[in-house]
Formats: sequence, C-alpha cells, structure tokens
Amino acid sequence: MLVTGIKSKPVYAPLRADPGGRYHLLLGNGPGAAPLLQVLAELRGGAADSLGRSRVLFTPGAQPSTDTGAEAHADSTAFSAAGVPDVRSFADSGALLAEFESLLAASVMGLRLYVAGPESFIGLALKIALDFNLNTDEIRAQECGSAARRVRCVHCRHTTEDVRTNIVECLGCRRWLLVRDHYSRRLAAYMGVMVDAEAPGQRPPIQEIFP
Amino acid sequence: MTDGQTLRVEVTAIAEVTPLIKHFTLRAVDRAPLPAFSGGSHVVVVMRGANRVYRNPYSLLSPPSDRSAYQIAVRRMEASRGGSEFMHTQLHVGSHLEIAHPVNLFPLDKIARKHVLIAGGIGITPFLAQLEDLHEGAIPYELHYAVRSAEHAAFHERLRTREAGRVRFYHDSKAQAIDYDALLSAQPLGTHVYVCGPAGMISRVIDTARRWGWPDSHVHWEKFSAPPVGEAFEVFLARAKIGVNVLPDQSLLEAIEAAGVEVPYLCRGGVCGFCQTRVLELDGELLHHDHYLSDADKSRGKSIMPCVSRAKCQSLVLDL
Repeated sequence: MLVTGIKSKPVYAPLRADPGGRYHLLLGNGPGAAPLLQVLAELRGGAADSLGRSRVLFTPGAQPSTDTGAEAHADSTAFSAAGVPDVRSFADSGALLAEFESLLAASVMGLRLYVAGPESFIGLALKIALDFNLNTDEIRAQECGSAARRVRCVHCRHTTEDVRTNIVECLGCRRWLLVRDHYSRRLAAYMGVMVDAEAPGQRPPIQEIFP
Repeated sequence: MTDGQTLRVEVTAIAEVTPLIKHFTLRAVDRAPLPAFSGGSHVVVVMRGANRVYRNPYSLLSPPSDRSAYQIAVRRMEASRGGSEFMHTQLHVGSHLEIAHPVNLFPLDKIARKHVLIAGGIGITPFLAQLEDLHEGAIPYELHYAVRSAEHAAFHERLRTREAGRVRFYHDSKAQAIDYDALLSAQPLGTHVYVCGPAGMISRVIDTARRWGWPDSHVHWEKFSAPPVGEAFEVFLARAKIGVNVLPDQSLLEAIEAAGVEVPYLCRGGVCGFCQTRVLELDGELLHHDHYLSDADKSRGKSIMPCVSRAKCQSLVLDL
C-alpha cells in the first residue's frame, strides 16, 4: 500500500569526513551529536588545520526531555573539546536553520556540509543547501532519531509535520492521506494522496510506521 | 553519429579573425533551419580530402537562437594532421561540407549561482555561444581570456564591447597571467568553473580548484585531443573479418572507417566515450590517449577509444 521501491526516497549513509573539503560545516540535532564528533575526530587526524576551518551548529532538538538544557550544554562542551573554534547552540532547529542559511550566503566554494539528526531535520537542511547549488559531492548526511515525515498534500498543498503513521489526516483540507515514499528534495516532504477517494470512508488500518 | 546522419551545409562566409584563426559561416545547402543546439555544443566536420577523409570536432560559436547558420572557428595547427590545414586552404565561399548533428559535452550548469569561464586561445569558441545565453540571464558570470598577444585575441572587440566589466584579457606578450589562486579561493558557494584551452591551463584549473576544496561536480573542462601521430600498426576486426593497417598519421577510427566499417562516434576527441570498442585479443600494449576511461580501465586493456588511442602490438583484435 505504501508503494515501496520509489527511487526518490533519500538514502543516507554513516558520516565520514571529506578531506577534500577546505571548510567544514556541521549541523546536528539531538542524537546527531555523536556522528558529528566522529567526523571531527577524523578531521583532526587529517590535513593540517582542517579542524580550525570547521564550524558546528547544534540544537538538542524538540525531543521532550527533562534535562535537555544539560544535554545541550554537554554536547557543546564536547564539540569545543574536540577542537572546533566555532560552536553555536540553538534552542530549536528553526533557529539553527535560519543561521545556517545566512552562513551559506556568506560562504565560498570549498565547503563541505555534514548533517546528522532526524530525517525531517536533514530534509529541511538539504532543501536550503539545494538553494545554494550544493551538490551531492559536497553534502553528507546521517539519519539518527525520529523517522517522522513531512507530508505534502497533493490536493491542497499543505505540509503536515511530524507524521508517524502510514495514513494521516491532512491539517490543511482534512482529507485522509496515504503517505507515499515519493520524496521531493525541493519541498523536503513526502507525497500524501487521498486514500479513500474511490471508496469514501474505507480506509486501511492506521499504523505507526515512521517512529 | 555515423556519416549516414550528416547535414549538408555550404560555406557562405569566411573571415580571418587572427593570423591563425579563420571563422566560417555554414548554412544548410537547402537553406532549411539547422538543428537547435545549446551553448557549448560542437559539430564534427567531415572533410573529404584528395586521399583521405578527415573528421574534426569544432565548437559552435554562433548564437544558439539563430538556426539560419552555424559559425565555427578553426585554428591552423602547426602540426596539423591535415584537418585544420584542409579547412584553411581548401575551402572557399560556396564549398559544400558534411557535418554531424550538434552534440553538447560542455553544457553550462542550469542551477549554478555563478559561472566563471576561463579560456585560452582558440578555447574561447564554446564560450562565445554560452555567453549569448548568459548575457540574457540574471546569473552572474565572468570570463577570463588568456592569449599570446592582442592580435591573437579572437573576437576581442566583440567581447570587449559586449561583455564590458565581465571580461578580463591576459596577454602572454605583456607577461600577464591568470592568478588561479586568487580566482578560485573566494568564489561564492554554488559557483561553477569552466575551462577550455591548452592542456596545461586545464590541469592548472583542475589542480587549483581541488586545492581550494572545490568538488568535481563544480569543475568543467573541455579538451578535444587531436589524434596523436604514432607508429603504424595492424588491427583485425572480428565481426567484419578484415585486417586494417593504421598509418602513422591516421587515427585507428579513421583507418577503420576507411576500410568501410562504421563506428558510432560523437566527439572524435577522446571525451565522450561513444566510440568505446571492446578489445578481444591483444599481444602488445594499448596506447590510451582519451580522457574517458578510468586509469583502472586503461590498465585492464579490455576497451579502447579508437578516435584517439593507438596500439603498439603484434596483434590486436577488436569487436567490430
């Protein structure tokens, strides 16, 4: 029913440092801290001063947690301890991505982008990167955390956030949408299509499949 | 492309733009509109000389919006195998030629945020058509054009007036050189660099860009290799069941064509990979001159680009 095997579904891979880059910009959200620290360790062992030309933007993310503040502080400290001269922390991914966009506008060729975090965070970051014509050989991303999707309704074009189920009610037009694997990098969203158009009211069972 | 699909054109104007470069205007013999093309495209010109046929690639430099005529510029090479010599001495207004359909192996990136074009000498030609498109658009661009001296700067006046503020000339005779580090160290994100010129210039741009962290997808180059002259050798074509002798100043592809066997081709300069041919047997070594096969493929010796590559061998059998 989900229509799998769709080629546009992004596939991400474990992060590795790219020694060919001159500048390194790392974006992390919540559990994305660990893979970014791994990249920094590789950069430290690589060409002279690539660590000195690195920058980290980090947010603990929207995960409900009693001690989020303390975790964020611990992560920032870890990035600084890893030798990164410029570490910036943000309350949420929106603030982080706004800063990311203004950094890209002021950046020069030679930059490598590393993104680690929940899938929707990666998608939104890569959507901005696409606007700056960053190609796949300049970007590396690793999924960690929630696989919740942004779903774009093909009927009313509203994007419903944080979708964890195979079928979801569109918050724009209240149609019930089947969440497909069709993905748009430009919109950073999966396609949602009315599930009961031909047999109104007949919907398959709703299951949580994007934890 | 094979010769069955060529366009018949007539030379309608010839101009000498520098002491070494002639500029040809070509129109369809029947005056029908020519096929559309995009900036950076080339055509292969088929030249039927007295004793042999030459097929050389030349960039189209006319505005892509003008389908009434194609324009090409041909530099007379000092060590010409005959092609550029033919173009310079055998053609006159009214001559007929065959050309292959345009092919673009050097297109501009459609979503770049900025274009940096670097030309050396006759390497300006693909950029002339691209500039026609860029001129109309909103994407920033700049052209850096290195030549031996002012009199060798083809299309100097046209560029100086039309691209004022966006073109910079460098004359070897005045010891002016492109500062590649300055040029490539501070370009905005999303810039693409394109280079067409002598081999040394292309490798300088590729090396400098890499040193400043440019990813390969943002670095574009076009270098048509003329087929090098070498020693004669023999080749056997397994499917046609004929032996072919390749002369020292003849390319393997030309020798195969002269024997009446057609091989599909696009660039005839070792770039596109279209004429890739399977090697069935080899006693000796392949002399690869193309820019298409990887180093691993070259050393494996199972494939050859007959447009520019040769062999030094006792026997060579090709899957043709």
